[in-house]
Amino acid sequence: MRETVLRPKSSRLFRELNSVLTVMARDVTLLFKSPGSLIMSLAMPLVMMGMIGGNLMQNMASGLNFDFGGFMLVGMLVNMLFMMVSMNMTSLVDDHEIDFNQEMLVSPVSRYSLVIGKILGATVGAILSMAGTLLVGLFMGITLPIGKLLLFLLLSPLMCLAGGAVAMLLIGLIKSKRAANMAVTLITMPQMFLSGAIIPINHSSGLLMVLSRCMPMTYCLDLARAIVYAGSEEYESVVLFNPALNFAAIIALTTICLSLGTFFFARSEKSR
Amino acid sequence: MGSEKKAIEVEGLVKRYKGAKGQAVDGISFDVRQGEFFAFLGPNGAGKTTTISILTTTLSKTSGQVRIAGFDVEKEARRVRERIGIIFQQPSLDPNLTAEENIRFHACLYGLCGYRPSFKLMPAAYRQKVMELAEVVGIQDALFRPIKKLSGGMQRKLEIVRSLIHTPELLFLDEPTQGLDAMSRRSLWEYIDETRRRYGTTVFLTTHYIDEAENVDRVCVVNKGKIAACCPPEEMKKAVGFDPTPKVCLPSLEDAYVAFLSRMNGGASA
Repeated sequence: MRETVLRPKSSRLFRELNSVLTVMARDVTLLFKSPGSLIMSLAMPLVMMGMIGGNLMQNMASGLNFDFGGFMLVGMLVNMLFMMVSMNMTSLVDDHEIDFNQEMLVSPVSRYSLVIGKILGATVGAILSMAGTLLVGLFMGITLPIGKLLLFLLLSPLMCLAGGAVAMLLIGLIKSKRAANMAVTLITMPQMFLSGAIIPINHSSGLLMVLSRCMPMTYCLDLARAIVYAGSEEYESVVLFNPALNFAAIIALTTICLSLGTFFFARSEKSR
Repeated sequence: MGSEKKAIEVEGLVKRYKGAKGQAVDGISFDVRQGEFFAFLGPNGAGKTTTISILTTTLSKTSGQVRIAGFDVEKEARRVRERIGIIFQQPSLDPNLTAEENIRFHACLYGLCGYRPSFKLMPAAYRQKVMELAEVVGIQDALFRPIKKLSGGMQRKLEIVRSLIHTPELLFLDEPTQGLDAMSRRSLWEYIDETRRRYGTTVFLTTHYIDEAENVDRVCVVNKGKIAACCPPEEMKKAVGFDPTPKVCLPSLEDAYVAFLSRMNGGASA
């Protein structure tokens, strides 16, 4: 018998980062092998931005003291990231159904690396949808200045991580595809309205305000709008919080959701 | 036969599934020595897969102590995982990836090499190891085909390649030859024997093909969640009244196993 022995790399950091990349690369490979997923990623912007956004613009834009088109485009971009990441995270349920989670969970890497890898894999599809949203916006005559768009793009992986962490709270516990699809609706619809993606939430109060303040998407949206509206007269009407507060809230809420989601996921696979 | 150093230590292991009335594993204790070839046998529902799942860190225990290579399966799970290889009872391949992509995923998660997006870009040692193992189980031609286009037997062979690529100290085989043809079974066992000899790999086997356990160092029979016997195969044959050194015809382990379980279950067939 010929002998080739592969030994693991000694650096723990290398192994963890490599596992994040590996899990992410698998999801990207699967995305590009699945024409249906690709079409879905590109069709979503047509529905969300073109139909819902277009209708809102025609009927709600008048009487506001800011440009509703720009407001909604930023909202749709962040919403698209959160929505598509959540939808793509349901692949965890597929992995459970084909027993592939066993293969991942028995590997000697942190469960956080596995979950972050899944979220980053889901991010690629979400960024495709975001690009589609920008394109639909362009056709509708709504654009963002290049510099601000680049800043937004820089922040988009953090926003996807936040969206994926929220999705993990529910999807990590679910073992059937049907329930996972319902969970995605349960996550994405309230987020879209409560966080102010398409309608301002300046006057929200009571429980609705509390809920909106608990959602990482609220702070992601507000941070994105703070970037886009920086230096404009509309800034005060559109932006709710200080960008530093937004950033800190995103980090804190993402950490909490990611920790709980990962814990629930690992526990639900192991505790039967 | 293995050394005196323990590869697996199980003490009073209990597993009760949520909502279940009885215990799937009911206070079992046993040791497996380093380098030992150990068979864990029993009828369907006896608790074999539950035990193997706890030993491989994929299922939590209700109570008891389990140590693998000296590490606690719950407190030091990562260290345990670094040392083991598993062939699960149910296939755990991604059907949308190719055979090689499944192996690459495993090798990268075990930190054997940095991830690269194609086989050609992977390090030469990885490519060589994959080809060597694929040759042993005869799947060289299927390496770059999607899993969903491979037969069940071919998929099983691929899982074998995957479980061995990181040269584990301890190999858990949960009915590994299910669905394999006779030639593949033989080549698999030859390879596992060679791996044991060369690397001193401890093998923990569950199987319903009792003939596969004929050459193990010890057999542990589990029945209704409890250990019914744990001894070398020859002793089991003696225990059910077979003469282990007959002059005419040597009884098989399967004969002894069936007789033993029948006796345990009050004469019912195993």
